[in-house]
Parts: sequence; C-alpha cells; structure tokens
Amino acid sequence: MDVFGSFALLLAFVCAVYAFVGGIAAIRTRHPLLVKSARQAGLATCGLIFLATGSLVYLFFSDSYWVAYVVAHSNRDLSTFYKVAALWSGQEGSLLFWSFLLAIYVFSALFAYRNKNGELMPYVGVVLAGVQIFFLTLNNFVASPFKVLATPGANGALDIFTRADGSGLNPLLQYPEMVIHPPNLYSGYTGFTIPFAFALGALLARYPGEKWIHLTRKWTMIAWCFQTMGILLGAHWAYAVLGWGGYWGWDPVENASLLPWLTGTAFLHSVMMQEKRGMMKVWNVWLVFCTFMLCILGTLLTRSGVVSSVHAFAQSSIGDWFVGFLALVLVVCFTAYVKNRDYLKSENQLDSMVSRESSFLFNNLILLVSCIAVLSGTLFPVFSEWFSGSRISVGAPFFNKVNIPIGLLLLFLTGVGPLLAWRKTSTDSLKRNFGWPLVTALVLGVGAFAAGLREFYSLVCLSLCVFVTSTISMEFFRGAKVIRARSGASLVASAVDLTMRNTRRYGGYIVHMGMVLIFVGLAGAAFNRDTQKEMQLGSTLQIGRYNLLLQSFDSKPEKNYTSERMIVEVMREGKPLMMLYPERRFFQTNEQSGTMVAIYSTLRDDLYVVYAGQSPDNQLPVIHAYLNPLVKWIWLGGVIVVLGTIVTLLPNRRAVLAFSRAQEPAVARPLGQTLAPSATLREGHD
Amino acid sequence: MTRRRRLIACLALGFVGASTGVFAVPVNAQKTSQAKQIGGKFMCMCSCNQVLTQCNHVGCTTSTSMLKELDQGVAHGDSEDVITQAFVQEFGTKVYAEPPKSGLSLVAWSLPSVYLFVGTAIVIFVIFRWRARPAPQIAAAGVRSGISQDKLEQARQRVARETED
Repeated sequence: MDVFGSFALLLAFVCAVYAFVGGIAAIRTRHPLLVKSARQAGLATCGLIFLATGSLVYLFFSDSYWVAYVVAHSNRDLSTFYKVAALWSGQEGSLLFWSFLLAIYVFSALFAYRNKNGELMPYVGVVLAGVQIFFLTLNNFVASPFKVLATPGANGALDIFTRADGSGLNPLLQYPEMVIHPPNLYSGYTGFTIPFAFALGALLARYPGEKWIHLTRKWTMIAWCFQTMGILLGAHWAYAVLGWGGYWGWDPVENASLLPWLTGTAFLHSVMMQEKRGMMKVWNVWLVFCTFMLCILGTLLTRSGVVSSVHAFAQSSIGDWFVGFLALVLVVCFTAYVKNRDYLKSENQLDSMVSRESSFLFNNLILLVSCIAVLSGTLFPVFSEWFSGSRISVGAPFFNKVNIPIGLLLLFLTGVGPLLAWRKTSTDSLKRNFGWPLVTALVLGVGAFAAGLREFYSLVCLSLCVFVTSTISMEFFRGAKVIRARSGASLVASAVDLTMRNTRRYGGYIVHMGMVLIFVGLAGAAFNRDTQKEMQLGSTLQIGRYNLLLQSFDSKPEKNYTSERMIVEVMREGKPLMMLYPERRFFQTNEQSGTMVAIYSTLRDDLYVVYAGQSPDNQLPVIHAYLNPLVKWIWLGGVIVVLGTIVTLLPNRRAVLAFSRAQEPAVARPLGQTLAPSATLREGHD
Repeated sequence: MTRRRRLIACLALGFVGASTGVFAVPVNAQKTSQAKQIGGKFMCMCSCNQVLTQCNHVGCTTSTSMLKELDQGVAHGDSEDVITQAFVQEFGTKVYAEPPKSGLSLVAWSLPSVYLFVGTAIVIFVIFRWRARPAPQIAAAGVRSGISQDKLEQARQRVARETED
C-alpha cells in the first residue's frame, strides 16, 4: 500500500503539472478540448490525492511498521480514534493532509463550475493547480509520508525491515479535540485558496472586479468559519490539555492561525463596500492575496523552526520551500496587479464621515493594525537577533497590552457599524439607534464600578458588550415587530422569519452576538486566580466558593498508558457538589507524560483542577487549582458564531407570503403605517 | 415612562445586578505574592514559549529550578531589578516575557501605536478625499487611468455574460 500511495502522489503531481501547463495553453488558444482536458487533469489530481491519503490511513490501521511515518506516530495499542489523528500529527502526514483538504476544495470548485464561468475558470484552474503543484512537490520530493525503514543488506541493496511496534502518538495529541481541531484549522487555511484563486484569476482575466466577489463569498465564509472553529477548538485543547489554566498564550503558532483570520474578517466586511458601492476593489483583492499569503506564512512559522513554539513541528529545512513559494506568490500577485490594475478602478465617493462606509474603513483599519501588531510581535525575536545578536522574547504580556485596546475598539465598531446608514447617517437616526444602548451600557458600567469592579479593561469590555447586545437586540426587535404587525405571529417567530428573509444581514448579527459572548469570556480573565497545595488524604483546599477534599490517590495501568490520578470531592457551601479526577498519564511507548485536567464548568466560572505530580520532598500529590471566571462564555460564543455563519450561508426566504397577506383587504394597511422608516429602508440590506 | 421602556430599564438593571454578582469578589482577594508577580515577567526557558509562572508542563525541570531561584531571591530580600538582572545574566534577554522599554525593544512597543496612528491618518485622508470627489470626476476616473469608460463597460458586460452565481 505504501508503493500504491507513493505512486498515486507522483501521478497526482504529473496531473497537476498538466492542469497548470494545459490550463495556460487553454487560456492562450481558447481551444475547448484543451480547456476540458486541463479541468479533467485538475479533477484527476484531486482523486489521486484522495487515494494517496486513503493509503496512508490504511497503513496506520493495518499497523504497517515498516513505514517510517507510521512507526513514528502510532503503536498497536493506540485507539482507532487516534490512529486517524496520527495522520496529521507529524510533518509529512500533515502536509499530505493539507493537500487532501485542498483537493476537496479544488474538486468542489472545479466540479461546481464545470459548465459555468467559461472564461474565468481556466484562470482559476491554473492558479489552483499552481498551488497544488507546490504542495505535491513537498509531498513527493521533500517530506514523503511513504518512506520505508531500510538497512543496507549483504549484497549492498537496501532491505526493508519491520518494527514490532511503533513509537506511539505524542500524548499531547491524544485528546478528542486534537481529532477535530487540526482538520478545522487546516480547512480554514486551505479554504482561503479558493477566494485567492478567483481573485487572482479574475485579475489575470481582466474582470472588472465585481463578479468574483459574488462567486467566492460562500467559499470565503466557509473557510472563515472553519478557521474560527479551528482557532477556538485549539484554544479549548490548550485549556483542557496543557494544564496551565489558560486558553490563549500568544504562542507563535497560535498567532499564525489568528493572522489570516484577522485579514479574512476584514475582507468579509470590506467586500460589502464593493458590492454595495463599487468601492475598495483594489483593497479587497489585496486583502484576499494577503490572507492567502498569511496562511502560507503561518505554515512556514509552524514548520520551519524560525520561532520557538510548543506547537511547532520539528525544525527542518522545509521552511526554505515555503519562503520561496511565498516570494513567488507575492511576485505573481504584484505583477498581475500592476498589469491589470486599471480594471479595478473604484467609484469611490463618500457623502459623510458618519456612514456605514466610514465604519467599514475603520473596521478594516483596526483589524489590519491588530494583524500587523501580532505579526511584528511574533517576528520581533527573529529581527532582534538579526539586529542586535541577542534574541528578545515577546510573550503574552506584550500581546495582551497591545491587543486588548485594539480589541475593545473593534468591539465598539461591532455595535456602531451595522446601525449606520449607507452614505449618510442623520442625527435623528443616531439618537434613535444608539440612545438606549448607550444609556444601558453606561448604567451597567457605573453599576459595576459602584459594586467594586476596578479592572479598567474588563469594565470597558463589559459595558461595550452590553452596548453591542442592545444595538443588535434593538435591530431584531424592530424588524420582528414590523413582521408581527403584519403576520400576527409571535415575536420569536417573527424574529426567525426576519432572519430568514435576510440571512446575510441577520446571520451577521448572530455572528456579532457570538463575538460579544467571546469578549464577555475574555473579560473574565482579569479575575483568574489559582492556588497550589501538597495534599494528604482527607485534607482540603479552598479556592473561591469551592472546597476541594482529596478522597483518594491511585495509580492504574491502562491499555496505552499508566495513569496516576487524584479523586477529589468538590464541595460548595459545605455541600458535596461533584467528583473530579485530575490525572497524569505516562505513555510507555514514547516515555512521555501528559496531563488530564479536571474541569467543573459553569457560566459563572470554571473550577480547573490539575494534578501537578508528586512533591519531591515528601511524595505527596500536589494539586493546582484555578478559578477562571466566565470561560464558558467563550465556547458558547464560538458555537453562536458558527451558527450565525451557517445562517449567513442560507438562501434568503422571499417575503412573498407576508406581502401577499398585507395586500389582503382585511389586514391591508398603507405601507407607511405598518413599516417603520428604518425597517423599510433596510429591507434587503446586508 | 412607557411600559416598554420600563421593561428595558428593568432588564438593564437586572443585567447590572447579575454582572456585579459575578464580580462581587474583591479584585485583590487573591493578590499574588511578589515572586508570582515578578515571575509573570519572565519566560520559561524550556522553549515552551510560556510565561514562567504559567508553565505547567509535567516534569518541566526548567521552570521548577527557575521558580526556585526566584523564590530564593525574593526570600533573600532582593529587589525586582536585582532579580531581573540575575535572570538576564543567566539566560540572556530572551528571558523577558515582554520586551524591556528601552533600546531596540522600544521599537516593538512603539510599532503598534505607529500602525494605529498612521493607519488612522490614512483612513481619514481617504475619507476626506473621497468626500471631496464630485460624481463626474469619478465617472472620468476610468478615462484618466488609461482605460476608456467604454472598454470598462464592455468588460463589465462580458463578465455579466460569462459568469453566473
């Protein structure tokens, strides 16, 4: 099967090269057969990558311990669940997995548009094939996952040998979220290739720039959604596995995943300027280019060893390939832009400083500033070493100080932006839309301050969260009220109806609401506390309103590891609440240890208990307990963001029924009496 | 006050009450020791890229010895500066969790502000420029940029023909 996999990968490379060269020839000659054959080659490339990936999965499941990658990342006792995760646990496999996910996107795009966009698709196909060639080059010639174990035989030829068992999977990866976090994150990274290919293809084909936006909106939303899920699942994994009590440590690899998310988010907002007003065409094209390049840069940071990270793959020379590819992409994008920029001329005109357009400009500014600040902070250690010879670390305290104010500005714009009108917002409209939300936010701020909350950023953050929640709620309430007046349905049913009539606009609000919940959770971090204690049987540890009683401490062998665990009874106000089992696992195959944190999570706070090993002085088990307020809101917010994104992807339900009912004599009223002016104007907006 | 406004006011007050309940604990109730506070300014040198006081890798000997050294310094009555200098001498400048606000590191601190100010200036400039732009000038923009309006319109029509959502 390893030979089959290798051959499939090699053939995929050949097909990708044909799709690239044939595609260019098809663009030049416009010969229908060439166009078709290039597309078929693109589809065949994807099919062959699927086969190669299937081969590697089969090798894992069949315990093929003559394949070096399988030996390094699996063992016989590893559960089936984690044998799937082993596919992307190392450099070679994860690169193949990257190609696999990219192939799914490429196949979907080529297949979905096989009979559409005849002029544009050859360009798109060429760009996609170009990206695939790069990754297949790595898969075939730089980091092949199908290398076998071999020793020189007596006759000088290499003899393949088989190991009795593998080295096992890294314990940090033996956690359920590691089975879903990387696929989500990689799906985000690879997904941005599609909007990139359409943007570059449209530029090369000299398309004026409106249409590719429509074509790629859903692709961009899907990639963004996966990237969001990937980041949040990664944060949850770090929280539940690494055992340091936090979920985001501003590690270079974490930052690398955030960078394309920030530019992707900026793109999703600025794209509306182009759709509505024909503005910012050049900006949008470059935002997509930058998002793709940041995906590649993120991969470079993760795999090259340029920056040190607990998440990074082993240091290797593969980074040079990524640097080369990044430079090539930049040159191609820049050349295409310089040659065809006249076709991106925008009809930029603004009527007022206080308008939706201005808010989008500031939204993009804030997101970009955040992106560049994170990028420069991440790379600063490298630059400082170049310039001064000594590496200066840039850790979490720096990023928190820089990004918290930026994040709060963004949160403010989340509340303000959507309620500003296109072109110009009147003073009356400002009062109507922002009066109550501002008052509510101020009341909360003053109330919280009076109650003893003195953390400035948390106070501002919570006030802004209330402000944004109020603005969004008012939007739903006003729209739903109009529908309820017409249809007689309940307010909730009317709100659902409203959402389904303009999924993009109201789905966007749901996403914003999810972001608010995430910010609420982040605000809680200022109040984290922790304590550590050596525990004897029957002794207790107090943290916040919880009392932890050590009931037992044991060690037991499991199939793939040996576990040391504490059995801790949690009590609140003197009453037993639940049992927690923080443990430490020792994996014999690779002689590594891993923690399993025990968490009791409520909306108010998380009781986070870590078994920190035995005290070297007296061999007593050490417990490290954290009390982290509001963390659950972050995960809830993530779920809401994903739901909102799914809503934005749904087609709009036409308001035919409501309008037809409105025209019936019994319920008919003049439109001006039933519709609030704002609702009338906003119908159909995004 | 209408019924609806009363309802909103009650909801707002309820939210305030609930939130203050969450944060009713005194902010400094768990004030960390001096060692913990100083330790928050250093990185663990086990290359995990985590802050020293947050490094909780099972069996991480580096953070254990660093924390021990830190505790000894605090117990000895050393000031934060003295402890910091000792750590920098031992591990180099990479021990800082955040760059010091001097020398080359000042660049790291000033860059985000520079980005923000320059970016804001650009956005404001762009807004004013676009506001000052009359409609006919926009229509003529295509002509000035080397591509005629007709050609641009033809290209648009071609796109409309060739592309489908």
